[in-house]
Amino acid sequence: MAVVSVAILIGSISLALAQRDPDAKPGGLEPAEPFHLAVYLGVLWLAHIAQVLAGRRTDQVLLPAVGLLGGISLLLMERLPQNLVVQTLGDTDLGLADVQLVWLVLSIVLAAAIAVVVRSDRWLRLYKYTWAAAGVALLLLTFVLGTEINGQRLTLSFGPVSGQPSELLKVILVVFLAGYLSENRSLLVEQSTRVGPISLPPVPYLAPMVAMWAIALGIVVVQRDLGAALLFFAVFLLLLYTATGRPGYVVLGLILFVVGAFVMYQLVDHVRTRVDIWLNPFADPSGAGYQVVQSLYAFARGGLLGTGLGGGLPLVSGRLPIPAIQTDFPLAALGEELGLVGITAILGIYLVVIERGLRIGAAARDDFRALLASGLALVVGVQAFIIAAGNLKLIPLTGITLPFISYGGSSLLVNGIVVGLLLALSDKGVEPPPPPRQPGRLARLTRRAAG
Amino acid sequence: MDRRPVSRSIGHVGLALVIAFGVLAGGAGYWQVFRSPDLSSAADNPVVIAAARDVVRGQIVDRDGKVLATTKRDANGDPYRVYPDRSVSPIIGYASRRYGTAGLERSYAAQLIGVTDPDPVRNLLKKFESNPSDPQTLTLSLSLALQKAAVKGLGDDRGAVVMLDPRTGEVLVLASTPTFDNSAIANPATEDKGFAAVRDAASQPLLNRATQGRFVPGSVFKIVTAIAALGSGAIDATTTFPNQAKAERDGLVVNGFRIREHPGVPVRTFDLAHATEVSSNIFFALTGLKTGGANLADYAAKLGFDGNVGFDLPVAPSQVTNGNGSAPGGFVDEVELANASYGQAETFVTPFEMALVASTVAHGGILMKPHLVTALTGRSGTRTVAPEIFRQVISPNEAAAINAAMVRAVEGNLGKQFTPGAAVPGIVTAGKSGTAELGGKGEPHSWFIGFAPADNPQIAIAVLVERGGRGAQRAVPLAGSLLKTYFDTVGR
Repeated sequence: MAVVSVAILIGSISLALAQRDPDAKPGGLEPAEPFHLAVYLGVLWLAHIAQVLAGRRTDQVLLPAVGLLGGISLLLMERLPQNLVVQTLGDTDLGLADVQLVWLVLSIVLAAAIAVVVRSDRWLRLYKYTWAAAGVALLLLTFVLGTEINGQRLTLSFGPVSGQPSELLKVILVVFLAGYLSENRSLLVEQSTRVGPISLPPVPYLAPMVAMWAIALGIVVVQRDLGAALLFFAVFLLLLYTATGRPGYVVLGLILFVVGAFVMYQLVDHVRTRVDIWLNPFADPSGAGYQVVQSLYAFARGGLLGTGLGGGLPLVSGRLPIPAIQTDFPLAALGEELGLVGITAILGIYLVVIERGLRIGAAARDDFRALLASGLALVVGVQAFIIAAGNLKLIPLTGITLPFISYGGSSLLVNGIVVGLLLALSDKGVEPPPPPRQPGRLARLTRRAAG
Repeated sequence: MDRRPVSRSIGHVGLALVIAFGVLAGGAGYWQVFRSPDLSSAADNPVVIAAARDVVRGQIVDRDGKVLATTKRDANGDPYRVYPDRSVSPIIGYASRRYGTAGLERSYAAQLIGVTDPDPVRNLLKKFESNPSDPQTLTLSLSLALQKAAVKGLGDDRGAVVMLDPRTGEVLVLASTPTFDNSAIANPATEDKGFAAVRDAASQPLLNRATQGRFVPGSVFKIVTAIAALGSGAIDATTTFPNQAKAERDGLVVNGFRIREHPGVPVRTFDLAHATEVSSNIFFALTGLKTGGANLADYAAKLGFDGNVGFDLPVAPSQVTNGNGSAPGGFVDEVELANASYGQAETFVTPFEMALVASTVAHGGILMKPHLVTALTGRSGTRTVAPEIFRQVISPNEAAAINAAMVRAVEGNLGKQFTPGAAVPGIVTAGKSGTAELGGKGEPHSWFIGFAPADNPQIAIAVLVERGGRGAQRAVPLAGSLLKTYFDTVGR
């Protein structure tokens, strides 16, 4: 039954894609496009069938919802000028949509592979500190060896392969936090240091975690990647609340955030520029505020119903009005061509993805899996929120990707990992969790001291 | 031990994200629906720029249908703008492929090109039409005949004239001299020479002096002080200051600074009407001090001093003070307040704003929203712009008291000496002249603001002549002759 519903859903997606496709390029379809569509839908189907054949009883809604977002991405990349990205492979030049299709396919394959293969979470559960160390090492490596693009040192290149490790780091952060919080959850809930009306977390238990967070945040700010810093911090806070159920932690975190943001604003030029642009982009509409103003213009041109795919984004001197549209402003492009109706639908699909992830978390058999699943869902949800809110001038713009839609290999592959892990966690047939471990050595010590 | 299930806090987190995404949808709605019309018609919106390249812009015509802007085609068949009369150049501006747009050509670019429709429903359905562009013809309230008279009257001087109907806010004259050859800028054959000529000119013809020029107002500002004083209840029409007589003779000492009266003011105590008639600095300094800086700044704001009065062209903000001081209203001290009360100190105003001040007094204390464009006509029909109340600044009684005082300034026996030639024969005229001392050498700015007929005002006016001498020398007779022209031609 569930399988049938998935089939229908995927069928409707394919239909929707097919129907929208002719509109994408008025005046003749390029031959590559039906091919793109066939490949994409074929892989999506195969990903689903593979899970069924492997006997996995995974979540039935997550993959189609993500597939729909990926389909929107493919359409958008086909609609944008293909020469925004050109990768030469042998004798053939691959344009924007070609490259994006390759990444989408790899991402789905990765997700399906994880969903089919992973039947145990031991490798994540047991080695959280190893993962954390690996993440920090990855970041340090980027900082030392990374290539600088647009004043941000985010990209790590090995020969022809390059990627942005901070994308992977967010998954590692969730794995670590899930491991740490599930192990120390009861202690975090139980003990507290009260200062006035606010109950503070027990200091010894939060220290390693705050340190991990501070390292990540510090490096990221040194790298000038505000979006990732914001994402990490928000996910950290939300997971902390999920684990403890105590709003006091969130309040404390927000206070820390306000203090940190204020200090950053005073000290770091880059941050100040971003905030000033956010406060009034129209002060310098052709200079500093250009990108944001053009994004808002694009949304405004879309209106309620949008201009239709291919009907928007007038060229200025032969160029698209919004720089970095394929990575940082896909929502503005979609907002123009699909209108408020389309934007609301896309936001709705994200909510479906988040809901599925959180539901997987809520149904999990132990705290680690619950926190891991909700953490992964939160990474997707919070990241989508941060960049969408930046595009809409609700918060300062930060250059992070819109999950599943933005152009970019690292982002798509990592989100593929996220989906794969969520699917694997959703299967009731996975290896049962180990019995709860004894609280950490530190806890036993303090308890003894207290007793 | 609290072992609440994790699933419960997951629910809370989920709810928070739903709310967050709801906010996102709300944000999208704000930009895509609520702000869509004004952002989509912004002159630097790519859709407007792209459309402007090949669309024939709508015409701009005056209240009598005389063409102020139209389109011709060059040898390649590409359209370019032609402006038949340069007296309106500061209003119309220009639309040039190379040098962009200015004036109404800029602020109404989207409507002239036809990318936005004045009717929101049609605007929504527009995308389904085969030829969505519907260029609008703009009809202005401007009277080309009066405008030409004003420009001719200003002659070789730099200055500005603003005339508007206080009952509707319709602007009939918005003159700024020198004018410039906007056709030369719009014509691709002469654009470089045409633009260079105005950009480099010392007389700054691209500065619309009526809306963008900020000048020391001198005594015309006393009307603002009177509005603030009566409106806040600091004085009424009969209020007198017992210490005035002595101050008229010896000067008014404020914080050790001595304010002197100009010659020709009788040495005694008198009320608002008399003070306006003889333009007493001492009376208005005392009035300003009694009113207080906070009230003066407050009423200036109510009169639209910040420039945001919803006009069709950008209006520079006027000011009563730099706002650097810590005294109420942003004044440095009582000395600045006292001097500002008769239009000196750090007071700077646009001629347009002073016309709004006159218009407010004329229309029983109500400031109508000023506008130039009265109708937009396209394929889809005509949409007219209805008069709109901007704000009731003071009560009709308070306005009547100032009206009476301004009549004395033009028609009174003593007032006539300051305003020779302002009165229109056979029509009771109200007004106030101004002589803005600029310090140093050179002539002062010459000012006049007023309206007529005083008992049923149909037209309000502000005239500024840069370095034109005393008010009576230049601005006053020009205003009188323009008011007469108005009643001879437009008014009935």
